[in-house]
Formats: sequence, C-alpha cells, structure tokens
Amino acid sequence: MNIIETQNLTKIYGNFTAVSKLNLHIRKGSVYGFLGPNGAGKSTTMKMFLGLTNPTAGNFHIDGKTYPANRVSILKEIGSFIESPAFYGNLTGEENLDIIRKILGLHKSCVDEALQLVGLTEFRKRLAKKYSLGMKQRLGLAGALIGKPPILILDEPTNGLDPVGIHEIRTLIRSLPQRYDCTVLVSSHLLSEVELMADDIGILNHGRLLFEGTLDDLKKSAQAAGFPTDNLEDTFLAMIDEDNHKRGSAI
Amino acid sequence: MSLVIESKKLKRTGYLAAFLAGGFLAAAFPVVYMMVKADEVTMLSGNPIDILMSANWQIMAMLNILVSICGACMMYYAEYADNGIQKMSVLPIRQGNMFLGKFTIAALVLSAMVVIETAVLVGCGEYWFSNYRFDLAEVLKIAGFQIFVTLPTVMLMLVIASACRNMWVSLGIGVILVFTLSILPQDNAVLSLFPFASPYQMLPAAIESGRTVLFLVVCGIETALFGVAEVIYLKVQRCFE
Repeated sequence: MNIIETQNLTKIYGNFTAVSKLNLHIRKGSVYGFLGPNGAGKSTTMKMFLGLTNPTAGNFHIDGKTYPANRVSILKEIGSFIESPAFYGNLTGEENLDIIRKILGLHKSCVDEALQLVGLTEFRKRLAKKYSLGMKQRLGLAGALIGKPPILILDEPTNGLDPVGIHEIRTLIRSLPQRYDCTVLVSSHLLSEVELMADDIGILNHGRLLFEGTLDDLKKSAQAAGFPTDNLEDTFLAMIDEDNHKRGSAI
Repeated sequence: MSLVIESKKLKRTGYLAAFLAGGFLAAAFPVVYMMVKADEVTMLSGNPIDILMSANWQIMAMLNILVSICGACMMYYAEYADNGIQKMSVLPIRQGNMFLGKFTIAALVLSAMVVIETAVLVGCGEYWFSNYRFDLAEVLKIAGFQIFVTLPTVMLMLVIASACRNMWVSLGIGVILVFTLSILPQDNAVLSLFPFASPYQMLPAAIESGRTVLFLVVCGIETALFGVAEVIYLKVQRCFE
C-alpha cells in the first residue's frame, strides 16, 4: 500500500520547469531515497508535499488525503526537515522543541525523547543560535522526529554533519520504520548514502523521474540499458549523463 | 494557544523591554514639559487633561508609533533570522492564527503603553492643576480611544513586517510612513483617518469636531481590512514560492 502517491505532479516557475509530470509511489513503512543532482527538483517536490508551494498541475495523496483540501490534517501526520535547519535562534534547543510540542499537542516528555534521539540532551539549555552547524542539523531533525509522526520528509538530513554524525543519523533513519512504524522520504544527491538506508529509490533529473524501484531493480534496469553496474555511483552518474545528453540533443 | 506560542517566541528578543522603555519615555515627556512650562500651562482655561494632551500628545503618539514599528520588526526578525517561520509553516497551525496572535500581543503591549501614558497625564493634572477632578470614566474613554485609533497602524506595520524578510526594509518603510504622514495637515478629515496619521488624533478634539464615531468606525474597518489582506497574502504567497 502506498502512503504517498503523486499523479503528474508539476511545478513551473516562469519558463523553468522544476518538476515535470512526476508519478511517485512511496510504500507505507519503507525508507524511500529521493535521489538526484542539485536542482533536480527534490526539494521542490518535498515543499509541495508540505504545502510550502502550490503545484502548477497534477496532484498528490498523502495517507489518502488530498492537498489543498486537507492541508492541515496532512501536516499533522508529517515530520519534516527541509533544506536547512529552521529554528528560533533566540530560544534554547529545548524551548524550540517545546513550541513544536505545543502546536502538535504532545506530552512534555516528547521534548526529552526527541533531544535524546538526536544526542542533544547535553546542550538542551544552550541558545539555538550558538549551536554548531551539526547541532543545528540535529535540532532540525529533532523537530521532525518529535511525537513520532507516521511520515517523515527529510531533505538532505546529513548535510553539515561530521562522519560520526552522518553514521548516527543514517542508522537512526534506517531504524525508524521498525522503531516507530513510520515511512521515511529522504533526499540526497549521493547514491552511496541512499543505498545504505533506502528500501526504494526514485532518481530525479531536471524535474523528471528517471527511475523508481528497489536497488535490485535499478541494477537490472541499468544492466539492460548498458550502464555500468559494478558501482552504483557509476550507474547513477551514467543515467544522469545519458538523460542530460538526450535533453541536450532535444534542445 | 497561538497567543502563548507567539509570546514564547519573543523571549530574549528585547520586545517587552523596548515597549516598556518607549512607554516610560513617552510618559516622561509631559512631566518634563510641565516642569519647564508649568506657569504658562496652568494659566490656560479648560479641562486640564485636554490642555495636557494638546500640549504633549503629538510627541507621545509619535513615540507610540515608532515603538510599534520596532515591535513589528522585532517580531518578524525573530521569525526570519533563523528561518523559524518556515518550520511554523510545515506544522499544523494556521498562519492566519499565528498572525492574529502577534497582533493581539502588539495591541496588548500598546494598550499597556497608552495606559501608562494616560496615568502620567492624570498624575500631571493632579499635581499641577488645582482645579483638576479625577474622573475614571473620562480617563478610560481617552485611553480606549487613543488605543483604538492606533490599531490600524499596528496592524498595517505587522503586515509590512511579515512581507519583508529583511528587517531593515520593513523598518525603513515604517519610518518613511511615520514622517510622511506626520507632515500632512492633521485637521484634514480624510488624511487624518489614514494609518500612521490617526494615532495623532485626540479624543477631546474628536468630540469637539463631532468625529468620534467616524474615527472609531473607520479605524475598526481599517484594522479588519489589513487583517484580511494579510490572510489573503499568506494564501497567495504559496503560489509564487
């Protein structure tokens, strides 16, 4: 069963098409890796799911609900982290999470749980503006994870983290469907990172979906198309390169 | 709920301190004025509060407006500085309610300022005018009127601040509006109804010219209209982001 589905989802800015007729199918309880180079349309798609920007055409369903009619009830089910950490610098990490907790109507203990989950308990009383980049990233993740939402939308969540932090967050994301029975949509421009945590992947380039399926499906599809399959990074690069080449010829 | 959340967001921003400082500064003005000009002013005939207001209210109202501008800028600076507003827009809370929470706080803090200022005017009347008789109803009417005619300015300034990511832009727009509208003739019926001009109107003068109801109705409509405009702006904004 798909918890998120899009039908010809499109976003056009002036004469630039950021997302073109996207048809995504995200299975409930899976980690879905959303992959693509910078500017491929990953963040724009995620922003549309969160109602931060309106689609130009097409539509999407999240847990059977449609946008914009059910915007607020969709947001009740989603924990998100988009582009860069968003917080109030004049408040402590704990106070930031407490605001989110109040809006979501959660119990006070949820703040402690979220802080512990991302390893910020020790720095809970420090002003968020005084956090390091990695700590801000963790605070953003805590804001997404608080209350264990059934759907998580994470846009490049490991940006700015050190290798140990990347490993911790990656392991955490991988464990979320089992621990909290949630579905995770995580974006990245690194296939090496996505393959370590995702069940399914979707590859996006210039707003178009080039591939959707499991990693095994990707290998089979790449083999059939004559792309290198020894290293998934090479497969991804060859796929993007061919698409760019096709687009170049088309133009 | 929005009110509690919005007030929590203002922690450590200096918002309350700015309003208190502005309120006391505005309240100090009539005291200083009377200390310097008591002999001349007490010779004038008429209601002491009317005399004190006509001598001091222009400056006090300007300070109220300037503090309201700073307050609106501070509120939205806290939202935009570290992108907190983006987090709020992906949470199940209506943006319109958030704005209404901010307006309520701004209106309450402005009310506190005006109450302090009115109390000081009453104190000046008691201290310097032997013929002054304290009338609570009169004082409450004056304070209520002065708060009400300032609300469109507070609302419009919040709308401006919410639309500008850069605090200096909204601050600049606010300051330009203050000085542009303060140089317009105050006795012109139409111009005096504009936001940034209406706070200079005083209840005694409004009663004398028979415009009290006009001011209250128009300022109420303006406040509601700017609030509706903000809600529409928040909806339309998503189409262009």
